[in-house]
Amino acid sequence: MSPIALALSIFGIMLLLMAVRVPIAVAMFFAGCVGYIGQSGWMPLSNYLNGLAVARFASYDLSVIPLFILMGNFATQGGISKALFGFAAAVMGRFKGGLAMAAVLASAAFGSICGSSVATAATITSVALPEMKRHGYSGRLSTGTLAAGGTLGILIPPSVPLVIYAILAEQNIAKLFAAAMVPGIIAMLGYMLAIGIYVRVFPGHAPEKEDVEKLNFQSFKGVLPIAIVFTIVFGGIYGGFFTPTEGAGVGAASTFIAALLKRELTLAKFKQCFYATAEGSAMIFMIFIGADVMNSSLALTQVPAQLSSVVLSWGLSPLLVVSAILLFYVVLGAVMDELSMILLTIPIFFPMIMGLDFGMPKNDVAIWFGIMVLMTVGFGMLAPPVGLNVYVVNNLAKDVPITESYKGVMPFLISDTLRTLLLLFFPAISLWLVKFVG
Amino acid sequence: MKLLERLSQFCAVLAGLILTVITLMTCASLIGRNTIGWTVQGDFELTGVAAGAAIALFMPLCQLRRGNIIVDFFTSKASSTTIDKLDRFGTLLIAVMMIVLTWRSAVGGLNAYATKSTTMMMGFPEWIVFVFIVPPLALTAVIGLVQTFGATPSNPDINDGASA
Repeated sequence: MSPIALALSIFGIMLLLMAVRVPIAVAMFFAGCVGYIGQSGWMPLSNYLNGLAVARFASYDLSVIPLFILMGNFATQGGISKALFGFAAAVMGRFKGGLAMAAVLASAAFGSICGSSVATAATITSVALPEMKRHGYSGRLSTGTLAAGGTLGILIPPSVPLVIYAILAEQNIAKLFAAAMVPGIIAMLGYMLAIGIYVRVFPGHAPEKEDVEKLNFQSFKGVLPIAIVFTIVFGGIYGGFFTPTEGAGVGAASTFIAALLKRELTLAKFKQCFYATAEGSAMIFMIFIGADVMNSSLALTQVPAQLSSVVLSWGLSPLLVVSAILLFYVVLGAVMDELSMILLTIPIFFPMIMGLDFGMPKNDVAIWFGIMVLMTVGFGMLAPPVGLNVYVVNNLAKDVPITESYKGVMPFLISDTLRTLLLLFFPAISLWLVKFVG
Repeated sequence: MKLLERLSQFCAVLAGLILTVITLMTCASLIGRNTIGWTVQGDFELTGVAAGAAIALFMPLCQLRRGNIIVDFFTSKASSTTIDKLDRFGTLLIAVMMIVLTWRSAVGGLNAYATKSTTMMMGFPEWIVFVFIVPPLALTAVIGLVQTFGATPSNPDINDGASA
């Protein structure tokens, strides 16, 4: 079998297993094992597997992931989100569609201490959805807003997908977080603008008038815990006091303390934190194991390495290559989860990108490309047929059909597309803040 | 199943407590480093090792709740009996994957014990890390087998708790 046919068969086995409801991590694992055994036999594979689980699980670099997830869950269970949404509603209440904009603002603020989009969507939905319903927002607009708002959990640092990109591409996590900051804020403003336009063009989805509490000193107390935790974590990382992993540890500890001070963290909720962290982290590490085996099996075929030199030999314009990769992500993201997609493709695409001349220093290209990948991940969390965030929010809103929710995310997908194009053509937007990081 | 549920919940809480202790240790180490120049010896290594144990201990509950992401797009129109059969096939493959990982990690651990390899900073014997990781992987395999051959039909709420 030619190397290309071999690599395609490995991919084919994976897709086939995925199509029949085998978990993605497991599909990658078995496709990888079959490819590995086919090329070098069982002995090398078994030696490779001896240390795989331990090497992946017990790694200092990756320990940042469960710590950020734990931090997000302390924030979720700690009763921080309710007061936060109250504050956001007081700020945005005067605008038409104000509560929807408030949900976006609250998601962005929550995203600044939570690195997962699904957790952000679920948390803000639980406090914002009943309020939006009570004020007469349509199921379409409210679920669409909350699903889109959830992506701010990863667009605004900390961000688990960005951490994974940083590890794969061997880039500085702190610099990538800094680069994501401005695009994250643009995303938030873009979503608010989308809501403002939508409620005017399609009346009937939002109430004409909303009676929300005015901004007062009391409502400021709602954002205080998050503001303090954010300042400690990012002040510490950028002030050079600690590494991102230590930052995640400090963040989890301080969120834990903030939740204790709110007196909302009962023993049952405390256990719930751990259960949710268990599911969220174990799932990601399963994907790591599966992708590792799959990647080593693909690397044996030599195709990934050759692909890069073949594409480079075509002499295409660098921007065209990046656009093609991003488009490929949008298509692949329709049938695959975004994390597996990054793990499988970054080892192939990253060397290709680094071989192109964008007229920027290599380190800048690596950081900018990371932000572009992050944008497509956010897009994939919303886009039909499989938008994980839409599922999560729709599950919580029992009476809204899933088709309504997908219609609801359309304005936000347009906003996502425009923002991605903006960041694609103006890398400086992502890069200017990085300059201030040592 | 009840026993397996208890066991995996116990593992998850234990892992959560390990992570919480690690965060507090990190804080202590940081405060020490930035004030009086004292740090917890080998704190980086300890964080990695503890996180490794925690991740493995998180696996059983994740499998019990079927937390691993699946694609249901291609089977959205299939009957519930077909879906149940496919899901049993999926859990069987998970069980096989976990058995392979348990077996190979146990071999890896024995090798580490035989060669007396230690971690770099603290000189911590490496086989101890394997001891924390192998049993939860075995438990996950058992849960997968029970889900495959057990009486209870598979849980329809499969997308729950996934996060990325």
